[in-house]
Amino acid sequence: MKTMTMSKQYPGDKNPLIEASHSLSWVVGLMASLLLSSASLHAKELNPDISVVLDGLYVQESMALGHGGPGFVPGHNELSLGAPIDDLFIGRLTTVFDSHDGETELALEEAFLRTTGLGYGLKVKAGRFLSNIGYLNSRHTHDDSFSTRPAVYRALLGSHYYDDGVQLGVTLPTDFYWQVSAEALQGDQVSDTDDGVGLYTLSTKVGGDLSISQSWQAGLSYMKNRSPAVEEEEGEGHDHDHDHDHAGHSHGLNYYGGNMSVFDLVWKWAPRGNNRQQQIELSAEYFYVDDLNEYADDDDFHEGWYASAVWQFAPQWSAGVRYGEVDLRQPHGDHFHSQSLQETDIMVSYSHSHFSTIRLQYTHQSGDGFDDINNGIFVQYVMSLGEHGAHEF
Amino acid sequence: MSSRILVIALLACSFGARADFRVFACEPEWADLVRALVPEANITVATNAWQDPHYIEARPSLIAAMRNSDLAVCTGASLEAGWLPALIQRAANSRIAENREGLFYAASYTHLHQPHDHVDRSMGDVHPEGNPHFHLNPHAVPEVMDGLVKRLPQVAPAEEIKVMRALHLRWKMRWEQSQEHWETLMPDLRGMKVVVQHSSFDYLLRYAGIEAVLDLEPKPGLPPTPSHLNRVLNDPRLADASVIVISPYQDPKPAQWLAERAGLPVLVLPTTLTEEEETDTLPELITYILTSLSNFNPKQNAVSAVNGH
Repeated sequence: MKTMTMSKQYPGDKNPLIEASHSLSWVVGLMASLLLSSASLHAKELNPDISVVLDGLYVQESMALGHGGPGFVPGHNELSLGAPIDDLFIGRLTTVFDSHDGETELALEEAFLRTTGLGYGLKVKAGRFLSNIGYLNSRHTHDDSFSTRPAVYRALLGSHYYDDGVQLGVTLPTDFYWQVSAEALQGDQVSDTDDGVGLYTLSTKVGGDLSISQSWQAGLSYMKNRSPAVEEEEGEGHDHDHDHDHAGHSHGLNYYGGNMSVFDLVWKWAPRGNNRQQQIELSAEYFYVDDLNEYADDDDFHEGWYASAVWQFAPQWSAGVRYGEVDLRQPHGDHFHSQSLQETDIMVSYSHSHFSTIRLQYTHQSGDGFDDINNGIFVQYVMSLGEHGAHEF
Repeated sequence: MSSRILVIALLACSFGARADFRVFACEPEWADLVRALVPEANITVATNAWQDPHYIEARPSLIAAMRNSDLAVCTGASLEAGWLPALIQRAANSRIAENREGLFYAASYTHLHQPHDHVDRSMGDVHPEGNPHFHLNPHAVPEVMDGLVKRLPQVAPAEEIKVMRALHLRWKMRWEQSQEHWETLMPDLRGMKVVVQHSSFDYLLRYAGIEAVLDLEPKPGLPPTPSHLNRVLNDPRLADASVIVISPYQDPKPAQWLAERAGLPVLVLPTTLTEEEETDTLPELITYILTSLSNFNPKQNAVSAVNGH
């Protein structure tokens, strides 16, 4: 009965999907008027920060839990607007353009307001936003070091989980960094509650410096799905190609669970803290999901982890390696089928400036229960125009 | 019993907070100014001389320090645009936010060189407000200090700044003395030509009448490339330069490459304060930079050679 559908690749997609032609012209019109107004006002402070991220990929082989291909694939192309609303609120709207079967789709990925300086280290976010669960999830994919999210993220969080809801966070007045946040999320696509709120999350992060050159952060998160969305049988079997006409980017995989726990750890090193010249970044996350449905017993759970090492060896160059595994139990009526995937990624990237990155990645997959377990090369560009987000840890 | 402990704990907390004026300094130079006015302040310095202040990560320790501070003193002019907004957001400190007393931008109190009406990224990392490395401008620093003196009473407990005005006077006298000393170094510096990497020393070079004839960066903020270094090597202006000046946070290899081929010395000069005795206050740092540069002026060497005989 319990479901925890981190099932859809982009759980929030169904509602905001607007027909391409209509929405595109709307966005283009909005952009044009914003640009015009900024040109005439000559006062940047009065205008929203506009940022555009161009992201494109060449994918040699389509892969298990993959994002399409083979061939040229549009990545996470986004248009984002943000600005202070007044001295208490900040707002942001992020739309993502994606293409499926030759049609361009527009998805609303973020539409939130956030408080500034409430006092006592408190902040409130409301609207649609990326959930704070895990380490990578709340970050935008174009900040990642690899072209793909780890397999465990693709399976359990649809690469990045966002939803409508409210988030309360507090940064505690301790000498070390300690942040706690709680979220109530709609979970429309994953939960069938009558009163609407389907998911709750609770997460905490602590961190600090070990020396002038080393910093760390550790996090623990928990997500609860209150009530089940009954899985539709159309995804039955191991059919996870991209042909079926889901709204959004569903890749047809549904992995459910009532409780999700995540542990994450990050360690970074830069000589005397000079991360412009050189930096080593080690990160790892572990996921455990149980309470899969009413037929599940103690042996039925999803589990996965990854560990990655990225070395920025010159101001413009990075190289990295990542290994990850995910073991899944796919429900089939009153029993489960096991699926497992092991993935090794090797990448090298060149950033001409802080705003342009070109990346080459090789991914090796092995496992059971998936159709297109493959090895292949990714070539990716990520270009950022306009306002650029800050260097988050 | 437990409630009594709680009351004591709360009292201790509030006392601790009152007795302790906490300052977050984005760069060491601003910590130096705050320390001159409020010697007892508990200051966290976010960056050091071996770090490029444009590229700092909003790491957990900095968020915690920002969370607990009463005042943040930063350069502004987009120098910290890549990391300060993230720190402010994640710290969620109601005292420190844009347009609140707890956030002090030094750039608001002085006039910046080279502001741009139009900036786009093909120009490199150009700040529309102007060159933000004005902490090495001997004329700008006292203006920033005046700004701090006006701001501190709004954010610091009264007992912390009882003697602030007297300390400010003392600081101003010392700064004037230092300026007089720097003036005596001018004859050794004026007309000197140097190769730089980034505009970090721009204000001080102008002040001393030194001309930066070439820059190892192809565009502001971009690291040197082989093709650009070759262009610099073949530039006729290189013949006039007497030294290549770089910062400790920069990779010395491009400068060394050029130095070998052009027969020029490389001088590594801190752009901000260090823990070393010669460069641990702003006046000392400026003195150190000017004296180090004067050692490389061919004119000055000629003079001292004559004097030596």
